[in-house]
Amino acid sequence: MMSLFSPLLFVSVLCMNSFSAVQGKKWKGEGTTQNLESIVIGRCYEYIRLVNPAVGEKNCSQIWEAFKNAFINKDPCNILPEDYELFINLTFHTIPPNKSLFWENNQLLVTSLAARGRRYMSVGDTLFGFLADFLIWCGQADSPGLDYESCPTMAECENNAVDSFWRIASVTYAKHSSGVVQVLLNGSAEGGAYPQPGFFADYEIPNFQKDKISQVVIWVVDDIEGPDRDSCGTNSVKTLETRLKTLGFDVTCTDNYKSVMFLLCLDYPDHSKCAFASSAPAAQRGPISSDRGGSWNKLMFVSFAGFLFRFALVY
Amino acid sequence: MPLQQGSARARQRTVLLVGIAVLLAALVLAVVLASLLTHGRHEVSPQMLKWKDRGTTKNLQEVIVGRCYNYITAQHPELGDKDCLKIWESLKDAFIYKNPCNITPEDYQPLMELASHPIPCNKSLFWSKTNDLVHRYTKSNQNFLTLEDTLLGYMADRVSWCGDPSAPGINYESCPKRNECESNPGSVFWKMASKMFAEAACGVVQVMLNGSVEAGAFRSSSIFGSIEIFNLDPDKVTEVHIWLMQNIGGPQRPVQLLQCVHNPDHTDCRLCTNSSAIP
Repeated sequence: MMSLFSPLLFVSVLCMNSFSAVQGKKWKGEGTTQNLESIVIGRCYEYIRLVNPAVGEKNCSQIWEAFKNAFINKDPCNILPEDYELFINLTFHTIPPNKSLFWENNQLLVTSLAARGRRYMSVGDTLFGFLADFLIWCGQADSPGLDYESCPTMAECENNAVDSFWRIASVTYAKHSSGVVQVLLNGSAEGGAYPQPGFFADYEIPNFQKDKISQVVIWVVDDIEGPDRDSCGTNSVKTLETRLKTLGFDVTCTDNYKSVMFLLCLDYPDHSKCAFASSAPAAQRGPISSDRGGSWNKLMFVSFAGFLFRFALVY
Repeated sequence: MPLQQGSARARQRTVLLVGIAVLLAALVLAVVLASLLTHGRHEVSPQMLKWKDRGTTKNLQEVIVGRCYNYITAQHPELGDKDCLKIWESLKDAFIYKNPCNITPEDYQPLMELASHPIPCNKSLFWSKTNDLVHRYTKSNQNFLTLEDTLLGYMADRVSWCGDPSAPGINYESCPKRNECESNPGSVFWKMASKMFAEAACGVVQVMLNGSVEAGAFRSSSIFGSIEIFNLDPDKVTEVHIWLMQNIGGPQRPVQLLQCVHNPDHTDCRLCTNSSAIP
């Protein structure tokens, strides 16, 4: 009996191990965003009706189908940028000159700076970028379903659905940028403000059109509480400037560009880097002593009355 | 002779039958043509009421449902139990097929219940006549929440809707302006949502007012002045901080910074230090 028991135990343990491997996640990355279809279609209509109606009428259901067909029913490690070509064709629109904003290592800052296309149009403010920004997606071979459990990371395989998407999106965005283009780099980033390899280095610069781009403006901005690792003319930024000049572009570079500094200072208004030169006299002007005296009295009275009213209601 | 008579009658009958068939065919064709021609006209019901403001946003359902999922999934996963389709249905039921001048708060009650969620204390930011500035601020700084940063406000921001008693029940051509009738779907919605937002506020609340407006920074006829202020709960609200915004030159720092993004070279926007390398 004992001699039968050990192999049985051994086999059952093996089976349990492989069973738990199946129960466990296939990939290391987060799974597909829940309700992906509703989000993508909703964003599509949001964009064409509200964000940028200038792009005209688009067929959002068709766009979703093209997006989905790029990666479902396929090996999630074998999705190529070309698979999204139909999607790109359906969502394409021109990018206004002088509004392109490239970036590395500062996505949230770029979102604030671009102001949803009103100041600049980053790739996330184009229709094709807007639909996918901050989302995760992947499929599985031999099944039309999306994988909500897990998705492969770059480290697990390069040709995953999300990275291949952003490759073709970046290429398209760079190819159709014109006029003065802006690049926002993070001077505090480990590994340098101009990372190589990186999307900007490998997919965007190679697709800059010499005859369409008049100037490349580089802004290197440090985190407010971060170190100054890179600046114009040094290290990786120097590499970038040299590369662009060799390619024949007119290049300028500014450290800690003021407009961007003000945005960073929103979260650190009392930091020494954010002190205004004229702050002393302004602070003395108290808020109540403004010229709108009449309405202030009304506000005070109404607030007081409002509280009294609520008290009366409650008791 | 009888054979010839028989065949003549048969021929007559055939001609008659053919004639009737042709007539029937023509009649059917006429009906089909008529319905095709009037099909276009049916889409814009001639009985739909006409108003002065823009109509219901096209693809409203897709936009609202998409925004709902976007808000929950991308920004607030703790609200994962919200049913976005049900929320859309409750919004639609509030106004579809109804006269858009007869909307009541009760119409929106189911929606308000489904979509409301708790607001953290000390984060409520009210505003009046500072729409652009206040929302640029909250988009860049997550410390404060305006009504438009809650699920209800996020879904409804910048879209419009109204119904009509005749089919299809939604008016995409026009909607009533406030001066045409007060109880219109948009106004009633925002009044209710503002009331609930004020009621939910706790701790320190902030108000951003515009000190550069001719009519005065505070107007008792504004939503803030007429609804929100009266619905703050004195048991929950400990302090009210008022931020009076002037065009650049005013005292309030964080939001002044936003104005400086647009005018970095204004004299009021000079930073103390101009050197690039700060250790």
